Amino acid sequence: MKKPANRYEWMIALRFLLRGRGQTLLIVLGVAVGVAVQFFLSALISGLQVSLIDNTIGSAPHLLVLPADRLPAGAAGVLDDAARRDSGRVLIDELTEIQSWQTYVDDLRRDRRVLRAAPVANGQGFIERGGAVIAVTVKGLVAPDGLDIYRIRAKTVAGAPELASDTALLGQRIAERLTLAVGDKFVLRNDRGGRLVLRVGAVFDLGAAAGNDLLAVPMDQVRSFFAIGGVSAVEAQVRDVFAAEDIARGFGRQYARVKLESWQERNRQLLTGLRSQSTSSVTIQFFVIVSISLAIASVLGIAAVQKQRQLGILKAMGTTDRSASRIFVIQGLLLGGVGSLLGLGLGLLMGWGFVAGTGAAFGLEVSARTLLTPIVLALAAAVIASTIPARKAAALSPIEVIRNG
Amino acid sequence: MADAVLRTRALSKTYFGKVDTPVLHDVSIEIARGGFTALIGPSGSGKSTLLNCLGLLDPPTAGEIEFDGRTIRERNVNELAAFRNGNVGFIFQFHYLLPEFSALENVLLPCWIGGGRPAAERRREALRIMERIGVGAFRDKAVYELSGGQQQRVAIARALVNRPKVIFADEPTGNLDRESGQAVLGLMAELNRESNITLVMVTHDREVALQADHIYELVDGRICRYFDVGRSGREAAAREIEERSCTIKQ
Repeated sequence: MKKPANRYEWMIALRFLLRGRGQTLLIVLGVAVGVAVQFFLSALISGLQVSLIDNTIGSAPHLLVLPADRLPAGAAGVLDDAARRDSGRVLIDELTEIQSWQTYVDDLRRDRRVLRAAPVANGQGFIERGGAVIAVTVKGLVAPDGLDIYRIRAKTVAGAPELASDTALLGQRIAERLTLAVGDKFVLRNDRGGRLVLRVGAVFDLGAAAGNDLLAVPMDQVRSFFAIGGVSAVEAQVRDVFAAEDIARGFGRQYARVKLESWQERNRQLLTGLRSQSTSSVTIQFFVIVSISLAIASVLGIAAVQKQRQLGILKAMGTTDRSASRIFVIQGLLLGGVGSLLGLGLGLLMGWGFVAGTGAAFGLEVSARTLLTPIVLALAAAVIASTIPARKAAALSPIEVIRNG
Repeated sequence: MADAVLRTRALSKTYFGKVDTPVLHDVSIEIARGGFTALIGPSGSGKSTLLNCLGLLDPPTAGEIEFDGRTIRERNVNELAAFRNGNVGFIFQFHYLLPEFSALENVLLPCWIGGGRPAAERRREALRIMERIGVGAFRDKAVYELSGGQQQRVAIARALVNRPKVIFADEPTGNLDRESGQAVLGLMAELNRESNITLVMVTHDREVALQADHIYELVDGRICRYFDVGRSGREAAAREIEERSCTIKQ
């Protein structure tokens, strides 16, 4: 069979649309507004989510290996394969601490989905200065991964963020409350009356309130100061934050003596919020697509009737049924395509106006996904909507048109 | 007939609906290659239906059509469409030009549909035909800016552009004033003589029919009379048509 010469189909489709200029303009604007709303909504909500997630877990571990709060399997005399994968040592201490942490750090670091992993030793202490005593969370970190999980190096506002013995990196809130500056010395106490003199090496500002109450010192110093034999946890950040739960579950199955927790488990409420936001945005997008489809279907449906005469004569001259229907699918594509491009421009303008006008703390998420999804959806809707008139055009018999004038 | 470009054998056509309407009964005719054949008869006699069947636009209910030696059997509509594009041209009472396109583009439409020939060559050919027909000057005009006669000439150019074997014309001057009608007819007769393209025309105008080489007269969907004008002479045919009305003995 001869290859279809479909350049003329495009030309006819275009001329049909240009001939009904007013009608075409209205429907293109309709598609554009739909695409703009879609793009704007999804970019806005994604932007908001990225910012929320970043605030919540950007400077925090995504998954944690924690001591299991149950008796280790080995203690009950049942040492299965998974338990043997741990160091093989079964210690009752592991109820509050992890002894064989190096294995977990190594395992996590080997996994390509994991960005960084480090052990951490936590303690609760008090800082005395002048007459004031305040409680602080002391984090014993290991450079560089430990520092980077909390983004301390990136968020340092004064001093050099290096872990060295007798040097403390201080959250800004503590520094402000105790008027401590880089180079100042202060005393850290533990609950057993131990004392440690530390020098402020750097001050960091993590934004979140909890983060700014941190005091970071080298891990080994925390271990000895708080008498921790192992470590408190192994912390990790992963490349795709939403995969954290799966990764945690995977590792959790391998280990018997520790439990794994992902950020999702620790932030159920936030997740539910994010999910309902996404659902409402998808719902709105769905109805926008439905209305675009209906608009295109009705306009092209009318056009198929209006152009019956032309279609009849084109068919008499040799246009095949398939060509006739393609002319309408192409019209759908043109309406959808031009409308979406216009809509993206409009959406970007709306987004820019929104961010500039409201001074929103988060930006629009302009990604391949937020840009392409509305276009692909609008094009698909246009093509699907055009199949009804396309079928009508294919079914039209030229002789009907010619006999009825 | 020695050299017939079209033959029908026992062609019948019935339109099926709430009430079935038989329109053609057992029509067997031959159309001479390169000649001018007129189909005449009273309104409702089935002239246009026969023309549309011959032009492969309307499939017959029964019977056979042989087009240029090929028997057109049950072909699918798309194959028929492609066959029409390369072999036949249509001129209707209403010009049926596409208002979305200029005069030249309308003439080019059958070439675009058929594809094949390079664009420049098609354009040259279309312009040559338009010049010949006297509408070259209007090539870039929108078709609705042209007069009825000019529009019908553009439609003739469109029918000619793919160099068809047969042109089917259904009352091509029916919608024109007398003067434009005469000019269009004269032009078609000239084209028929100079290009060897077969012309089949439905007309109810006796004057027009008498310019043809062959005349078939239809009554109630049947061939009632045939005149070989070349053999019997124009006057004899005219007298016969004038003096005796044709009736079919059942």
